[in-house]
Amino acid sequence: MRSIEVEVRSESGLHARPAAVFVRAAAAYASTIRLENMTAARPAVDAKSITGVMAAGVEKGHVVRIEAEGPDEGMAIEGLRRLLAGLGEPVGH
Amino acid sequence: MPGRIAGLPAAPGIAVGPAWRYRPRGAGAIPAVAIASRGEAELRIRGAAAASATQLQALAARLRDLGRGGDAEILEAQALMAIDPAIVDEAVRLAHGGMPPVEAVLEAAESSARILGTLPDALLAARAGDVRDVAVRVTRILSGAQVELPAAPSIVVADDLPPSLLAEFPPGLLLGVALAGGSPTAHVAILARSLGIPAVVAAPDLLEAVRGSRKIAIDGESGEITVDPAPEELQELADRQAVRGSRDRAAAALRGSPAATADGRRIPLLANIRSPEDAARALEAGAEGVGLFRTEYLFLRRQAAPSESEQEAEYRRAMEAFGPERPVVIRLADIGGDKSIPYLGRPEEPNPFLGVRAIRLAHDSRELLLTQLRAIWRAAGAAGVTPHVMAPMVATLADARLLTGLRDEARREVVASGADCPDRMVTGVMIEVPSAAILAPELARLVDFFSIGTNDLTQYVLAADRGNPSLARFQDALHPAVLRTIAAVVAGADGAGIPVAVCGELAGDPAGALVLVGLGVDELSADAGSLDAIRACLAGFGDAELRALAARALAATDAETVRAYANELLSAVR
Repeated sequence: MRSIEVEVRSESGLHARPAAVFVRAAAAYASTIRLENMTAARPAVDAKSITGVMAAGVEKGHVVRIEAEGPDEGMAIEGLRRLLAGLGEPVGH
Repeated sequence: MPGRIAGLPAAPGIAVGPAWRYRPRGAGAIPAVAIASRGEAELRIRGAAAASATQLQALAARLRDLGRGGDAEILEAQALMAIDPAIVDEAVRLAHGGMPPVEAVLEAAESSARILGTLPDALLAARAGDVRDVAVRVTRILSGAQVELPAAPSIVVADDLPPSLLAEFPPGLLLGVALAGGSPTAHVAILARSLGIPAVVAAPDLLEAVRGSRKIAIDGESGEITVDPAPEELQELADRQAVRGSRDRAAAALRGSPAATADGRRIPLLANIRSPEDAARALEAGAEGVGLFRTEYLFLRRQAAPSESEQEAEYRRAMEAFGPERPVVIRLADIGGDKSIPYLGRPEEPNPFLGVRAIRLAHDSRELLLTQLRAIWRAAGAAGVTPHVMAPMVATLADARLLTGLRDEARREVVASGADCPDRMVTGVMIEVPSAAILAPELARLVDFFSIGTNDLTQYVLAADRGNPSLARFQDALHPAVLRTIAAVVAGADGAGIPVAVCGELAGDPAGALVLVGLGVDELSADAGSLDAIRACLAGFGDAELRALAARALAATDAETVRAYANELLSAVR
């Protein structure tokens, strides 16, 4: 099992478009992946579930914990960490 | 009973075929599925979920190809909901426990929808409805899609149609759409236009008229519906289609040449866009720029206002697509009216169209408009173009001064930050409010151009809510009261030597375009799909002919008479 904590920096948190991008990326890994909104202290959700990720209510500035368990857990953690960092950068710069 | 009924044109084209009545069903009306084993239930639930996602994804891809990225995103999110493991796994678990598969899917989706529905955020809570829609779609497939689809290619007839239903029709099965309700600006009409499916809407007598019919014909350009057409009527429709085909080909051949009247009066044709993604489609249609960039999409469906850098990137994409020679007129966010935004925390208004809308937000939400203006200055500096901006809902000279004041303040802040910033911003006001039209001579001295929004101008001149279907008869912008107002605006602008554009739907309607140019309007801006037809229309008439048409229109007292005058002229080129 691997895990990481990241601050979400995208303007709309993990709602709408960023949520869909995140869920699609998570679904590409074989590992079981959970996402927990530490700032809002909400229960962990399945990172491959769009309704779960939306319900986590992640807003800009919230810290989330991502936990992966399975054959590609290292790749999953690294890939999703990069994705979240990329979502925070202004588009087109 | 054979005969003709009238609706409103919503997507061009002629379709002939059997009427197939779509009846929305509540979730409870979906038939139960007979299954042999619980293992089979699991397979069928997973299969139906995957098939729903594929359908939604396929329609989203078609919309993306058509340059409709914004519409596509809604369907892509729904595709993810269809295969959401939290829902599908729960449905499978319930089915293994002995619950029938249809109930299992609905129950599982309901748990997820309920969680979303209780979230404090209004936008997220609204997604609960999307989840329920998707669940009904999955159960429809689960219980056999053929119960919902016609057996042969048909024209779908209904009161109203959920837009995503169009996704369930394999290409070829859906010949056309005829609705008793709806409006030409409804989502389903926009989708039909994107997909090239003829559509007629707002035909109140439709359902009664088609009952027991063998065949109906719809004309998505005239709004006519013919029930059980006679052979000579079918022939006439075929002729009409052939004439339009050659007209459309001739029109497409004019692309690339600048729009002008037959005697060479230049009338720049620009496109209305809703996001930078629409730019490609507009350029392909030969748009000479953007006359209306609706920026609301950046502000809707989210939890906080978009940042300055996010806005800058979006505006810059549109500016770079059109380059320094073709202007992109950015309209400051038209928030309020029918588009409210929860994060502004504004109290609900009893009369939002007469409320704190658009530029009126500058008093309480000044920073919102300043941020947008700074982003536009920065985007233009980075793209190396002169920015063009206009404000909606301007009613007084004070509103126009407020706009130019905010513009200058935003520039000072951008310059102070050291960023590249152009020297000037071409600044205009929209003319939608009667007081602005009456004050046109004085307003014209404060700004660089006018742009008339005919939809709102009509609603405010005739005092008829444009969202109220029982007042639809007041929504014709060709009404002489509206045309006389436009004539006064043109006269006021001429006095100060500034140009007048029209960016409302009237500009994209051939009859409307002829009248507007005859009234002395300098530029037209419309949906990219209308530009070919307008360009061809203008090339068929001299300036004097159009001025004569406008003079007759101004003397008329109702919209029907004006339309008849214009159609008389148009029949010469059709």
